[in-house]
Amino acid sequence: MSNLSTASLLTKKDFESNQDVRWCPGCGDYAVLAQIQKLMPQLGIPRENFAFISGIGCSSRFPYYMETYGMHGIHGRAPAIASGLKLARPELSVWVVTGDGDALAIGGNHFIHAMRRNVDLKIVLLNNRIYGLTKGQYSPTSELGMKTKTTPLGNIDRPFSPVALALGAGATFVARTVDSDQAHMAGVLKRAAEHRGSAFVEIFQNCIVFNDGAYDAITDKSVRDDARLLLEHGKPLVFGKNKDKGIRLRGLEPEVVAIGEHAASEADLVMHDESAEHSGLAFFLSQFDAPNFPVPLGVFRAVRQPTYEEMNIQLHADAEARKGRGTLDALFNSGDTWTIK
Amino acid sequence: MALTITDECINCDVCEPECPNNAISQGDEIYVIDPAKCTECVGHYDESQCVAVCPVDCIVVDPANTESKEQLHDKFLRLTATPA
Repeated sequence: MSNLSTASLLTKKDFESNQDVRWCPGCGDYAVLAQIQKLMPQLGIPRENFAFISGIGCSSRFPYYMETYGMHGIHGRAPAIASGLKLARPELSVWVVTGDGDALAIGGNHFIHAMRRNVDLKIVLLNNRIYGLTKGQYSPTSELGMKTKTTPLGNIDRPFSPVALALGAGATFVARTVDSDQAHMAGVLKRAAEHRGSAFVEIFQNCIVFNDGAYDAITDKSVRDDARLLLEHGKPLVFGKNKDKGIRLRGLEPEVVAIGEHAASEADLVMHDESAEHSGLAFFLSQFDAPNFPVPLGVFRAVRQPTYEEMNIQLHADAEARKGRGTLDALFNSGDTWTIK
Repeated sequence: MALTITDECINCDVCEPECPNNAISQGDEIYVIDPAKCTECVGHYDESQCVAVCPVDCIVVDPANTESKEQLHDKFLRLTATPA
């Protein structure tokens, strides 16, 4: 890295490293890399204050391609490394780039606890529903019945919904976007970057080699408008090519209804409220899936709560005010001590 | 007609090595096609190689650069001519 940078003068090029990008041609990861490199200079943060931390997998090659600080860590442990970094250096913008295998299989534990603590991390999960780097074994998001190298008769493991898992773990920002919609992805990533606290973004990402077409139903231009629900804060849940379908609640059961004459009016529909303190609506949306419901894309939840590092700093400041700064020597010789004779 | 890449490009790099004319390169935002070099694969293949491999179908005929098959073939001959 060259000289310290002035945030306002940075461009996308300043965030492109000199490494050859080694993903398969056609991979959705390129789209995510391009959008994140484009987003960085818009945030007003000096380049030396960014850190990209990853684990293992195709997605985890990300730090090599960012001209920022970063670490290609150990499998599934990126949230732990990133949490430590954020605690030690709270002024940094710390990003975790992970995948469905890295975050939800071997790293499931670290993933949920980072969000439970509301550490101010941006966790971007590239979900291709397959193990790509190891050439095509099923992952925790592979769909039921899916035939892979390790499920030759079809997958009987029920897939995780990463969004539902993040909400369940208490993430204060949860969103979902898709690799082939550049404008939508840019908007969602910007929102995540600006959030204070754990920000989780699931990106549907096509693996062109081992799981090609996994998201055709919501990306193919001829059918996508009827298959996806674009979430907008403060607006009713409406979807379809002609915006003629909506989501209505019958008790606690959601249903798809037609809008218009002799049908429901927009006033009958559920309003999206990403800032609701209660995560019920967001969780309910996280359960929507094909074929009965449109797949929601956008921000499910965005609430401001004290972050882990804010509370940690406060904890230390309070203790110092109460007891003074203290020394390591005094600490070692306090409490229960023994003399070995 | 030369081809062009729309803003739906995901920068995935699949098209660039397929182009027999070396007409595709990485632009500032997305990949771009040099219309002076694109023959829509006329002279090389029956179908446009980049269109066949693009995962998001964002390569289309460029309305600003309309050429007939014959013109494209002439371009192919020009591009592949060995200097005398």
